Amino acid sequence: MNPDRRSVLQAGAALAAAGITTGCARIAPRFAAAALPDEIESPRIDASPAYRVLHRAGFGPVPGQVQDVESQGIEAYLAEQLEPTDQDHPALMAALYGIEPLRMDASELRDQAEHEVLRALQQAAILRAVYSRWQLRERLTDFWSNHFNVYGKKGYGAYRKATDETQVIRKHAFGRFSDMLHASATSPAMLAYLDNQLNTEAGPNENYARELMELHTLGVDGGYTQHDVREVARCFTGWTFETRYLRPRGKFRFDAERHDKGEKLVLGHRIPAGGGIEDGQKVLQILCEHPGTARFLSGKLCRYFLGTGEGPAQAAVEKAFAKSKGDLRHTVKAVLARKELVDGPPIVKRPFDLLVSALRGLNATTDGDSPLQRHLDLMGQPLYLWPMPDGYPDAAESWTGSLLGRWNFAVALAGGQIARTSVPIDALLDRSAEAAFDTAASLLLGKAAAGARPGGTSAADAFAAVLASPEFQWR
Amino acid sequence: MDDKSCSSYRSALAVSRRGLLASALSWVAMPSALSQIALGGQPDQGNAVVVVFLRGGADGLNLLVPHFEDAYYRARPALALAKRDLIPVDDRFGLNPALAPLRPILEDGRLAFVHACGSGDQTRSHFEAMNTMERGLADQRGDASGWIARHLASTPGEGRPLRAVALGGVAPDSLSGATQAVSLGSLEDYRLQGSPAFRAALGQMYAQHRDEISVAGRETLTVLERLNRLDYSAYQPAGGAVYPETGLCQGLRQAAFLLKAGVGVEFACLDIGGWDTHVAQGTTTGWLTGLLDEVARGLAAFVADLGTHMERTTVIVQTEFGRRLHENAGLGTDHGRGGVMWLLGGGVQGGRVYGAWPGLGPDDLEGPGDLRVTTDYRNPVFEVLAKRMGAKSPEAVFPGFRPKPLGIVG
Repeated sequence: MNPDRRSVLQAGAALAAAGITTGCARIAPRFAAAALPDEIESPRIDASPAYRVLHRAGFGPVPGQVQDVESQGIEAYLAEQLEPTDQDHPALMAALYGIEPLRMDASELRDQAEHEVLRALQQAAILRAVYSRWQLRERLTDFWSNHFNVYGKKGYGAYRKATDETQVIRKHAFGRFSDMLHASATSPAMLAYLDNQLNTEAGPNENYARELMELHTLGVDGGYTQHDVREVARCFTGWTFETRYLRPRGKFRFDAERHDKGEKLVLGHRIPAGGGIEDGQKVLQILCEHPGTARFLSGKLCRYFLGTGEGPAQAAVEKAFAKSKGDLRHTVKAVLARKELVDGPPIVKRPFDLLVSALRGLNATTDGDSPLQRHLDLMGQPLYLWPMPDGYPDAAESWTGSLLGRWNFAVALAGGQIARTSVPIDALLDRSAEAAFDTAASLLLGKAAAGARPGGTSAADAFAAVLASPEFQWR
Repeated sequence: MDDKSCSSYRSALAVSRRGLLASALSWVAMPSALSQIALGGQPDQGNAVVVVFLRGGADGLNLLVPHFEDAYYRARPALALAKRDLIPVDDRFGLNPALAPLRPILEDGRLAFVHACGSGDQTRSHFEAMNTMERGLADQRGDASGWIARHLASTPGEGRPLRAVALGGVAPDSLSGATQAVSLGSLEDYRLQGSPAFRAALGQMYAQHRDEISVAGRETLTVLERLNRLDYSAYQPAGGAVYPETGLCQGLRQAAFLLKAGVGVEFACLDIGGWDTHVAQGTTTGWLTGLLDEVARGLAAFVADLGTHMERTTVIVQTEFGRRLHENAGLGTDHGRGGVMWLLGGGVQGGRVYGAWPGLGPDDLEGPGDLRVTTDYRNPVFEVLAKRMGAKSPEAVFPGFRPKPLGIVG
């Protein structure tokens, strides 16, 4: 993996010659002025293709994985990732088995405190992303869980999200989009989050109908009108969840008595009077087949994986989605086949990306529990707690205001200050402690550091610095 | 994978060293919306809003007393405050004497009140009413994000550090959805950890490039440097201000420090609980008076401390609902509807009471005997946002709401 020293230095020299950067700080913050060792040159993203693939189709490499994927071949690696099985590392499976709330539905969870349920959900997400060998599945779970975002603190959102995550997101991540959409439309977590239990013939509520089109399928410019929103809301009247005495509480239920049985017109399709649950089902089908959905989802997937949601990449993925009738495995395969996976623009890591890639890169041992989760909170991304239905943002400017949290996370992780999370720095140092900066750069940035090394830093400082570096905030 | 996708892989893998350099260059030269921000330059002197939330439902009728209403005295035989004890505001209302520390500010015309102010929440549940207000809604239906978060997202400056800060450790729902909002138990929490060598390395690494992260990193380092240099532990409030040793007042002290430091804080959120005075709430002494005294002394110190900085700072004091007109058998008051909002500082045309008075007659009251809400709390808040904080459209902050300006903020 390591590009040889000479070529890295040449790269640095070339950049300097291009006038883009200089070895010393042009605008040194006064903050650090006194203590600046002027030898460090910031590493930059010019890592190997395998490194970038592992960061973009997964949560970053574990030590040695870049070389493994290079010898296996990137195509072969991705082909394997597209066919995940239920088999995973035994330690991960055992740890997940220990998280009881994952196996309980909303009614069984009612005895637990909300924050305990959220803690368990976050713990599972962290452990899976850090340790699963099926990295693409975890990436897709992150993508779809944000696409179909549910806020854990609205109503009983946290209690319902456990089932939603398994039955809507994970179950269909490699299946058909229409199945995932239908699962979401009948998921009590989504119905309650977007107020559809209040959507009745007598008192229509447009919240779900609007987000279904704006965020889940067509996109805001997808060609629907306010009239369509109203008509779609009418189609979903009566889609609610069970609250009746002695019934299985919290299961999806269609309440025919509250359903608006009149005729509707949705995106030019006539839905005849006298219908029941099939009105909403018909809407889901219309939306899945609408070209706006293929366009919107392909753009969003490309942005998430490739850093660009336009141009030939988006067009190719849109075609793959449409041609396969929303087969997500086929669609994701088309995304990963794009050369932009390797050479597309970098994407700012969200705090979850940063945290997981740091733990993976340094071969950390963690239980994923609250001491670690606290850092996600401080960095601005406590999982399942984004209040708006659009999911955590991916724009850089959404995350640049909370860098302090990232830097302090870097210090805490490298310094072994997070309870029940540890990094084997001594074991990772393949050379002397003086080479810690090179080792950290090689593990975390996928290449040797350009320029000279900082003097007088401890191994923990060097690792913290690379974790906190601008480069490591991108994928 | 089919042949086609394989071939695109091969071409990706065959990226030459030249290609790698080109992509590295394009990354380094990535244009940045933030690249124009001055680094380490002048302290930020922009306007700011401080929101103080009185949690528990502050009794507006004993805070700003309608002494012209006989119904008030009939309904509260034990709890009513006599006109002679009140700080005069106008010919109808007088302030609870516990607010005496704010009297000079009132008489300067820098403190205003909105009576019968509140939301459409009918549940009279603390949780729901607070949540409704902090989300900026009419009732529980609607956006789950907070109004401050939406304001921040709809105005320039997204991505800058420390635009909004909650002092007291728990982020209020009004900040929900603001990724850059910081919630601090104490200012000491907003500190860069790590050894001097690490911090030096950080300064070096972030000095080099022009990508969004690097630029924002430099700005964050500048903020940290300024806070570090000003050193809160050695902070001496100005104007002879003495802050009481309570959570709210120490929070106000920290807010004053931050605002004077000019580090770009646009919103500071604080709160104080304990306003749920169901039993023995007291009159000119006692429970409610004690709370009002604390808020008044804290705000008076804050105003003195800020001095001329007060001209760019507007304080909003709000509560989730007011309390019932009739006192209860426990000599307290139960959850009601209309309450009192206070505004002071920058731009506030004060010295008077705003809002239509709904009256206290049997037909004027709502539900179990509560002051009706005649001013939606979003009206004064949006006035502050529009006149002081650059808000352009109410739709972005308070979806579906059409504000009617009261003329409180000049």
